[in-house]
Amino acid sequence: MNKSGRLLAVILGAVTVALIVIGTLDPSSTALAYAGGQGLVPSSSTPELAVRDLAAEIGMREWGRAYGSLANKAEFTEQNFQNDLTGYYLSLRTYATLDHFQVRPLHATANDAEMRLVLYWSTVVGTSVSTRDLHVVRDGDHWDVDWPVAKKPDVPPQVIPVNYLRWDVIYPGAGDDWGEQNVEAPHVRIVDMHPVQRAEGVVILGELLNEDIVPAYVSVNATLLDKEQHPIASAGSFDKISHILLPKQVTPFFIIFPNAQLSDVKSIRMTPFSTLVPASADPVIAIDNEHLNPVPDPSLTGQVINQSGQVVNVAHVLGTFYDKSGQVVWVAGEYLDRALLPQTPEAFDIHIPEDLARDISSERTVVATYSERGEQ
Amino acid sequence: MAQPRLIFGVLLSAAVSAGAGMAAGQAGVGAGQATVRVEPAHLSGPRALAEQTEQAAIRDYLESWQTMCAALEQNQPGLLNADFTGTAKDKLSETIHEQEAAGIDTRYEARAHDLQIVFYSPEGLSIELIDNVDYDVQVFDQGKSVSTEPVHARYIVLLTPAEVRWRVRVLQAE
Amino acid sequence: MTGLSAMMCCAAMVLVSLAAGQAAMAQSSGLTLPSSIAAGSAFSIQTSGSGAGTLYIVGPGQVIKRDVQGGGAAFISAGSLHNAGQYLVILTGNGPSETQALTVTPAAQPAALSFLAKPSRLPVGLSDGITGAVYVFDAYQNLITAPEPVNFELSSPAQPEQTRTVITRNGAAWTEMNSTAHQGNDKFVARIGSVTSMRVVEQVPGDPCGLQMTASPAGSEVKLATAPVRDCSGNAVPDGTVVTFTEAYGNSQSTVDVPIKRGIAAVEMPAHPGALISVASGVVMGNQIRWER
Repeated sequence: MNKSGRLLAVILGAVTVALIVIGTLDPSSTALAYAGGQGLVPSSSTPELAVRDLAAEIGMREWGRAYGSLANKAEFTEQNFQNDLTGYYLSLRTYATLDHFQVRPLHATANDAEMRLVLYWSTVVGTSVSTRDLHVVRDGDHWDVDWPVAKKPDVPPQVIPVNYLRWDVIYPGAGDDWGEQNVEAPHVRIVDMHPVQRAEGVVILGELLNEDIVPAYVSVNATLLDKEQHPIASAGSFDKISHILLPKQVTPFFIIFPNAQLSDVKSIRMTPFSTLVPASADPVIAIDNEHLNPVPDPSLTGQVINQSGQVVNVAHVLGTFYDKSGQVVWVAGEYLDRALLPQTPEAFDIHIPEDLARDISSERTVVATYSERGEQ
Repeated sequence: MAQPRLIFGVLLSAAVSAGAGMAAGQAGVGAGQATVRVEPAHLSGPRALAEQTEQAAIRDYLESWQTMCAALEQNQPGLLNADFTGTAKDKLSETIHEQEAAGIDTRYEARAHDLQIVFYSPEGLSIELIDNVDYDVQVFDQGKSVSTEPVHARYIVLLTPAEVRWRVRVLQAE
Repeated sequence: MTGLSAMMCCAAMVLVSLAAGQAAMAQSSGLTLPSSIAAGSAFSIQTSGSGAGTLYIVGPGQVIKRDVQGGGAAFISAGSLHNAGQYLVILTGNGPSETQALTVTPAAQPAALSFLAKPSRLPVGLSDGITGAVYVFDAYQNLITAPEPVNFELSSPAQPEQTRTVITRNGAAWTEMNSTAHQGNDKFVARIGSVTSMRVVEQVPGDPCGLQMTASPAGSEVKLATAPVRDCSGNAVPDGTVVTFTEAYGNSQSTVDVPIKRGIAAVEMPAHPGALISVASGVVMGNQIRWER
């Protein structure tokens, strides 16, 4: 072995030892999680490590160990703690997994500290972010977290009469039914459509109206056509639409063609699709305190209130944004990862692209819901 | 006035385009091939007939002829499923069962189709066309040919839409 | 059928017995039969000559095979040959085969109608909004191509009946009807003689017309309720139809989509002094109220 090779071997060995030491003294949250949350050095020796320990245990669903580490565990049960994180009722959070987390110190003294814990949950419809500001207290040589538990929402006992309409559909039996009458598909109409070029591709925005007297399951497909009327690409609205429309209800839709260029598009073929489905006019969801927040962090905020008596397990808030002329300029939405309890407001916060925010002068919000008990 | 269009050899062609006008003159017919003339649609209903619809209906009808010929020759009613429905399928299936029971099979070989769509129902659920067709019929009993005859017939055909194609619901000669 | 005259004589001699009503007879040297029969009619084919032979009646619509004795008659009973179409009648025996053409026409009496009526549901007051098409069949499901008058009748409890008589062409007839001004289930009937086929066409209210709401205080909230919601013909818009209430105040607003219940839509919203409250259903706007309390 020559001299330079020996030097390289020494350097590699030194770097390896250094990395092992760093990883041992300051393990990453992921490594910590895989290691079962236990480092070689007691991890709650600082406020930040105490919060990281707790987050890692939450990520592993080690509810008992996480609960046991809390400073204020006498104030609630382990089940309360678990339900606070996974939901008291079936919701998107119930089956979510913690993808990662961030810990930011806010304030610290010798005996207590304020820390912000941001939890990034993976749900079936994407990432859901929740933020908790935690009080961390010193207890001898280690730190414990005061968990600000959100107790089960207290819905006052009451009777809410539910006598809204419900539609059921009877289809003819199987077989050759030519000439026989069938159930007419609901009549729906695109009342607005507007293509825009965005950095991510061509986006088609619009609104669809159910102009019939029966409920409809709807979706919209779009095909971009070139100058020779040849299809360039086709795409559907997927979940950027409220799929169940009651009579005379309007939904926005949002269709994206990644990497497409509007300059290549001569025309667009829109294909609304509707089919008759059983549905209920319940629940009614009110949207309160809708507010357009300006730049630098433009958003639509507000609360949704379930005015019916049943729990809504999943709510999807969709905002349609218009310019001064009333043209749709953007459609965006947010899934609420908590169940909507009767008469209990839940906040929403829909981000608006900053470059569009100045053009927006009005909005319209709709809520698509799913209930374990019902169709909507 | 729109001119009739001629299409040659369509019964052996995988893709038939009723809209593809071809040069006239070739009247010769090879085995399994037929000339196809498509007259301009003469509709009695209020619904306009899109060119693609016309092409699809004629293409599917001509394919159904091939299917029918194969089914009657091979005595296989299952071949009819893709192209026939309702009354036409029932009747052709019954014919095949009768052929089987009698030890007969028949070979139909079209020489010329002269087609015209005459009705497109207002709700779009049926197309009626007339096919003046010349064909040869060869009848076999226990595999032995008993007759070969040329036939000219005016077929009235009712097509109805299925999932991805038009199917023959009525096929009736006059 | 052409070219048959060149055929040699066959094993059978020609004798024909026609069923009643069969006029023209086709005859070759060994086989004579009616050139045309009505579907399902009885008829007989008599043969000449001697010896055993086989008679075939062959077409895409049907196949019949019979053993015959030369000089005897093959009797085709009523209902046996019932599918309309072109047939070859072939006689084989000791000599060359004999072939004749036979046309089976649909029976004259209609027995069934295929009635395509669209749509099954439509708004009131649409001109030519309802279409009906009919195909006429006999008892053997043969399409009757001879011209036949078809009566179309659209009747509703509150309106005079609309009727049309249309003569079939190639077995088909069609018509267009207007939807009436009143909602309800109308009967759409196609009739030919005593044969009828009925469809139900539901005529439903159109868009709300003159949508009006009132506002009244309800504690800390404002109670909003529409007047009975009707279309421009005065029909009540059905329950379940969504009415949207929007309350704009300052830089914020509140919205509720409320289904109509018992003819009206009603909701309670937070009372914000100076709020502008509007009502709409689908693309139809209603009145606006400034809430000053």
